[in-house]
Amino acid sequence: MNNFLVFLEQREGVVKKASIDIWNRVQELAALSEDSAVFGILAGSADIGSLAGFLVGDGVIYHAPEERVSFCNPEYYASLVADIFEKESCSTLFFADTSLSRDLAPRLSLRLQASLLSGSLHLSATGGEDGACTRPVYSASAIASFVAQRPLRIYTLPARKADSVISLGGHITFIALELRHLESEELSAVVRRMVMCDERLDVAEAGIVVAGGRGVGGAEGFALIEKLALLLGGAVGASRPVVDEGWRPHAEQIGQTGKTVAPLLYIACGISGAVQHLAGIGSARTVVAINSDRYAPIFDVADFGIVGDLHDILPKLIVEAEEFLKRK
Amino acid sequence: MHIAVCLCQVPDTSSVIGFVDGTIDRLRVTEVMNPYDEYALEEAVRCKERHEGSQVTVFSVAPPSAKELLRKALAMGADRAVLVEAEVWDPYQIALALSRAISSFYVDALPDLVFCGKQSTDFQNGQVPPMLAELLGIASVSAITALTFSGECLKLEREIEGGIEYLEVTCPAVLSTEKGLNVPRKTSVKAVMEARKKPIDLLPLIIDEPPYVLMSGIKAAERKKICRFVQDEKELIRILGNERALF
Ligand SMILES: Cc1cc2nc3c(=O)[nH]c(=O)nc-3n(C[C@H](O)[C@H](O)[C@H](O)COP(=O)(O)OP(=O)(O)OC[C@H]3O[C@@H](n4cnc5c(N)ncnc54)[C@H](O)[C@@H]3O)c2cc1C
Repeated sequence: MNNFLVFLEQREGVVKKASIDIWNRVQELAALSEDSAVFGILAGSADIGSLAGFLVGDGVIYHAPEERVSFCNPEYYASLVADIFEKESCSTLFFADTSLSRDLAPRLSLRLQASLLSGSLHLSATGGEDGACTRPVYSASAIASFVAQRPLRIYTLPARKADSVISLGGHITFIALELRHLESEELSAVVRRMVMCDERLDVAEAGIVVAGGRGVGGAEGFALIEKLALLLGGAVGASRPVVDEGWRPHAEQIGQTGKTVAPLLYIACGISGAVQHLAGIGSARTVVAINSDRYAPIFDVADFGIVGDLHDILPKLIVEAEEFLKRK
Repeated sequence: MHIAVCLCQVPDTSSVIGFVDGTIDRLRVTEVMNPYDEYALEEAVRCKERHEGSQVTVFSVAPPSAKELLRKALAMGADRAVLVEAEVWDPYQIALALSRAISSFYVDALPDLVFCGKQSTDFQNGQVPPMLAELLGIASVSAITALTFSGECLKLEREIEGGIEYLEVTCPAVLSTEKGLNVPRKTSVKAVMEARKKPIDLLPLIIDEPPYVLMSGIKAAERKKICRFVQDEKELIRILGNERALF
């Protein structure tokens, strides 16, 4: 038996795309072996009807629709997940790599005595006998592989940008998840509320990122960056000095002390390409650099570059992109 | 208040990081305090300044060279330092060692707050703080960007994907710190001198539990690309939009 459990994360009643993606990838993995079943766990009220069109394969999802478990309390969630994991004799637990799973997965690693492999780049590797995980370390200057030492394993997987083409089908059953110990459990860290930034795409989840550095020159200069990002359906990113100067919020910082991004397209405007910045873009697919200094290190890691003043280039680029999208 | 801070050292990213025989070339790197731990320590010292009679103790599970790191922490305002000399890498083993060090230092009581950096910048696991909380049997909140005291409880903020989360927690708790929480202070010469007089306790601990995870190999990442310089914006859009079909 090689059963898999996928943690389905909801926020404000909507199951995260990253979790759905992982469910579907785990289905591919389960299809490779004959005796694997896929289970899911979903805590909090969520519109499960709308999930049907997104989740593939056969499986059983334990769902607790109660409003009072909608917000994650890591201690309590850990006991819910551990119960199902043990009940269904699972061998592996999967999470999307999110702020919630970063709190929850380490606790479960101890409760289940399972090896926790964070940020694994490829799921295919997790099917291997040794359960190896490969990912960037040391500010993305190196790639390391890690092996599980315990028979049970937990993986947190960063979001994949390209959607794989998978056929729908299969049958998913929802079962009520029993809320045990809720009264007795000490709910010591309590989420009181969440404020989501108005439909702005998070830089860590965006498929296209347009980022600005000190070369942008000031907060006003970011109007151009924002315009291009909006046009391409992407998110705005920033280098650290930009955040330290207060031109942009910290949530947009990319790099060693900011976010790690993995977009299909990364456009760096007025960013020199310091190692600490590059630490955050190691997994970006296509990198474009716009910089007035032909010898800026960012060009060493870029696929395409334009040398020049971004204040001249960006407006023209926006016009060209508008033209292109109109013609499409 | 009794405040514990967990510190580690990491290779300075501005030094060249090389690799020999499947591990980092230690001779060529300089070690510094993990940047996220600076926010943890600064916040601990601020809590102490706000609550008279508080004591800040720093803990590190590290090789003997980490004494330098602990001296820096003492200069930044910590009162005592505990070093568990060990060369362990596995987050589970580190959390185990820290929980034992903390339990033995506070003699079976618990500190009111334990601050940690949200992750180390070398392996970026971020697993130690919640594991430590689990071992100590207390609450934890990761990557906080704001902390205020409000009666018996602490009000916290942190960034989540696409938004901000507001939380409340009661002590004892493990809090891990994100950039933006504060601006760590610079140490003065006087503080550095005084830090020499503060004690560093060596705590002998044997961690004989096997690790949960092993690093099986490491190699330098090949990052260099051949940049194709494009003449004008039209061409760039054509390449990205048509050739690469990115939008
Ligand atoms: C512990 C530590 C952690 C760090 N963490 C991070 C991190 O997470 N993220 C991060 O980004 N940095 C981080 N840094 C800082 C990092 O070392 C660099 O200082 C920073 O990335 C530089 O930002 P920048 O490229 O925007 O600015 P600069 O290095 O000043 O580069 C500006 C670039 O803009 C170009 N330019 C100027 N004007 C124009 C113009 N009009 N048109 C076009 N180009 C122009 C210049 O040629 C230059 O290349 C960290 C540093 C340390 C020590």
